[in-house]
Amino acid sequence: MSDQDPVVGIDLGTTNSVVATVRDGVPRVIPNRSGQPLTPSVVAVAKNGKLLVGSLAKRQAITNAENTVYAAKRLIGRRWGSKEVEDARRVLPYQLVAGPEGNDIRVVLGGKPVSVAEVSSQVLSELKADAEAWFGAPVTRAVITVPAYFNDGQRQATKDAGRIAGLEVLRIINEPTSAALAYGFGKKLEKKVVVFDLGGGTFDVSVLDIGQSVYDVIAVGGDTYLGGEDFDRRIMDWLTFNFAKENGGVDLRQDKMALQRLRDASEKAKCELSGTPTADIHLPFLAAAGEGKAALHLTKQLTREKLEELTKDLIERCVAVTEKTLKDAGVRPNQVDEVILVGGMTRMPRVQRAVRDYFGREPCKGVHPDEVVALGAAIQAQALVAPAAVGGEVLLLDVTPQNLGILVVGGYFQTVIPRNTTVPTNQTHLFTTVQENQTSVRIAVLQGESDKATDNELLGEFVLAGIRPARRGEVAIEITFDISADGIVGVSARDVDTGQEQSINVTATSGLTEDELKKIIDEHLDDQLEKKQSSADLERSRGRVAAVVAEIEALVPAVQKALERSRFGRDAVQKAEGVLARARQAMERKDTDELASVAEALERTLQLFKGLAAAPPDGS
Amino acid sequence: MSEDRYSGHLFNPADLAEEVGLDQDRRKAILFAEAGLPAWTHWQVLGLEWNATPEAVRAAYLDQVKLFHPDRYAGMKLGSFRGRLERVFRGLTEARDVLTSETHRAPYVLATAPALEVTRLEARRLEDERRSMERRGRLARHNPLLARAERINTLMKHGREMLAAGQFAQAVNDFQLVASLDPGNTEAGPLAAAARKKGLEGRINECLEKARAAEAMGSWPGALAAYRAALEIEPGNLRALVLASRAALEAGEVGAARDLAEQGIKVQPRSAVAHEALGAALEIIGKKSDARKALERAVEIDPHLDSAKERLKKLRWSFLG
Repeated sequence: MSDQDPVVGIDLGTTNSVVATVRDGVPRVIPNRSGQPLTPSVVAVAKNGKLLVGSLAKRQAITNAENTVYAAKRLIGRRWGSKEVEDARRVLPYQLVAGPEGNDIRVVLGGKPVSVAEVSSQVLSELKADAEAWFGAPVTRAVITVPAYFNDGQRQATKDAGRIAGLEVLRIINEPTSAALAYGFGKKLEKKVVVFDLGGGTFDVSVLDIGQSVYDVIAVGGDTYLGGEDFDRRIMDWLTFNFAKENGGVDLRQDKMALQRLRDASEKAKCELSGTPTADIHLPFLAAAGEGKAALHLTKQLTREKLEELTKDLIERCVAVTEKTLKDAGVRPNQVDEVILVGGMTRMPRVQRAVRDYFGREPCKGVHPDEVVALGAAIQAQALVAPAAVGGEVLLLDVTPQNLGILVVGGYFQTVIPRNTTVPTNQTHLFTTVQENQTSVRIAVLQGESDKATDNELLGEFVLAGIRPARRGEVAIEITFDISADGIVGVSARDVDTGQEQSINVTATSGLTEDELKKIIDEHLDDQLEKKQSSADLERSRGRVAAVVAEIEALVPAVQKALERSRFGRDAVQKAEGVLARARQAMERKDTDELASVAEALERTLQLFKGLAAAPPDGS
Repeated sequence: MSEDRYSGHLFNPADLAEEVGLDQDRRKAILFAEAGLPAWTHWQVLGLEWNATPEAVRAAYLDQVKLFHPDRYAGMKLGSFRGRLERVFRGLTEARDVLTSETHRAPYVLATAPALEVTRLEARRLEDERRSMERRGRLARHNPLLARAERINTLMKHGREMLAAGQFAQAVNDFQLVASLDPGNTEAGPLAAAARKKGLEGRINECLEKARAAEAMGSWPGALAAYRAALEIEPGNLRALVLASRAALEAGEVGAARDLAEQGIKVQPRSAVAHEALGAALEIIGKKSDARKALERAVEIDPHLDSAKERLKKLRWSFLG
């Protein structure tokens, strides 16, 4: 693998994902094979068993809600039984089950339980394939972004998803940091910047100090369960409530298809209301009224005021998180030089007003809220493989979002590395035994903000055995915690006297054991071999099409000449031009299906042309 | 390349020979920075003078991390130098964190101040203190308002000391002076009253103590005189009235005994002991029926007053006899 191999940055979003790269020193978004910059983060198994990803999966969601997984990001790296997962289970149309270890989540897709990392890996694979089609070369290395507030388990699971998709994940970086990087790239900045990132499912705030091309994060804060989906859900609840009221208690929540239509309509209305004061929601034949009665339609107008009223507390939560983060950073709102808005939700006028009111300044309008994160990731990816390509200057210094610590006697949480510590970092702490002749110690590593251990996220546990028997308090154990630049945690413990050492990789929470992960990666390698196979097929059909195109082009003058003398088929050349254009496009886009269909049309044209060119002059 | 830049630091040739992507210059910079970490102050780690401003700290940090952050050598073979870079980076970050922290910077500045600087600072502090004392004194001498305030402060302080020492008369004096100098002073008035009350209590206790001593020696007239002295200080002191009545009876001054007991009843109509004392006096005078009434009243108020019950029983017997 050389440094010249293309690298990409991927914004793996809750609702949409974007892939970008740096070409000729300029960061740019890679459109997917349908020509769109955004790929819906939706994975589905169709009725015929076919795996669908992106807009194809999204489009069939209404008729196949149980087997269409969206918003997988809200589940990645979470534990079975946690409050967030329980909440999600109540509203998601697809089924969740516990993993074999009982502590992680599996999504039931096409009747089979699949890990969330695998679901996300399908989106990543799709983006990888898009990028490969665009480059015409394999893409194996990427930087993937995650919300700054993601904990170790969520980061680890995202990294696993990358591995399953056949990507070497160069770095996991934080979305707001990535956005700031794209914002500041190529400028000479000395600024305090706040990134306000309200996406589909998560909310992040980061305070950065940018100077000398070093992007130094001072503090981050956020809520991994606050985003556009919550706004949509408020509209949905309002619609279902009113529908029930107006139609004698018909409960739409029982009907998965109706729910999916409501979800789409709610999202659409919300987006519309960012531009217009009112939005009409019209869903004909939404529900059956009962035997022998006409079907029920939903027609409702939603005003911007009503939407703002329905989502007032969500906006207040955003402001509260912002306030806390600035306090952590020791920065007052008026000391901030620039506020960058990221994420589709920041298009909502009420969100912009909240930001303006809090900071007392207009937020920056210069970045594209949907694309900026992926662009930043592309810049960082480039900086990590060939720094010269991005001016050799860019350096990210990020922080850890939550306190990292261990469980101590009494069920308390002792912080070892406080939040907002610059990474990479490590800390060594001395602990002593608490029982007479204690020969082993169990160490539970946690991440969170509470003093009570049980309120925090358990990252993993390990046992340090073989401690020499001694009176309690006499054995000292030195525990070293380190956090990598990815924000991923490693822990090792050492008996100070015997020197016995043990280390853990806190990987268990991604839901996949290393063995499982290897197995999945192997299976995907087979998939990729198949894809390679199909790419050989592609090359062959491209070659054939190119040959036919050349043949037709050669015949054009003769055909034109023949047609001058003919009364019929005057539009044949025009039609042929259309077919040729389609063929060239198909070759450009390397779309196998399109190539196959255009090949047929070409053959027909060729036969026609051959006939025309060879036809004797029309004597009549 | 001059070795002077690294103050004659001795490099391990094996480190310089390791097969990594870094040039000799970079290696030396990294090795030198790493070797310095354990001994250097945060200032030295960042290459700064002691007490450099937080802005200078930030700027130096940015300069240094650009040299020592492992990401700057991404894609390069780093070998043992990766760990070294990470250690140097952590050292730099810790230095930056401490020296820009609102809470940690000031103590660190003091703790790392050069010896000369410490003496200079201490001398300046002492000088400042001396000057401020002098200035206050001068102001007090020249400003009547300040002078009065100073006097009030002294009096209040003295008054409190006297109060604590039990010199109540002195304390009352001081507080009253303050009250007259500064009518707006809300503290002096109550303090004076409290001191006065404490002073009276003290004197009454003295008299009662004296009376008890006289009683113990059987000198009833002496005891009566002492009780009278207490009653002069506080005419309504019930305890003194009752005790004085008993002493008067013992001393043979029955009229005085009755008067004193009656005064006691006037002060506290529900005082059983006062009624008992009156009964005892009336009995001696010979007014047995009145005496019985007084004693019955005493027992009615306090059914457990055995001495009164005893006396009443005896009186009934003699009455019958």
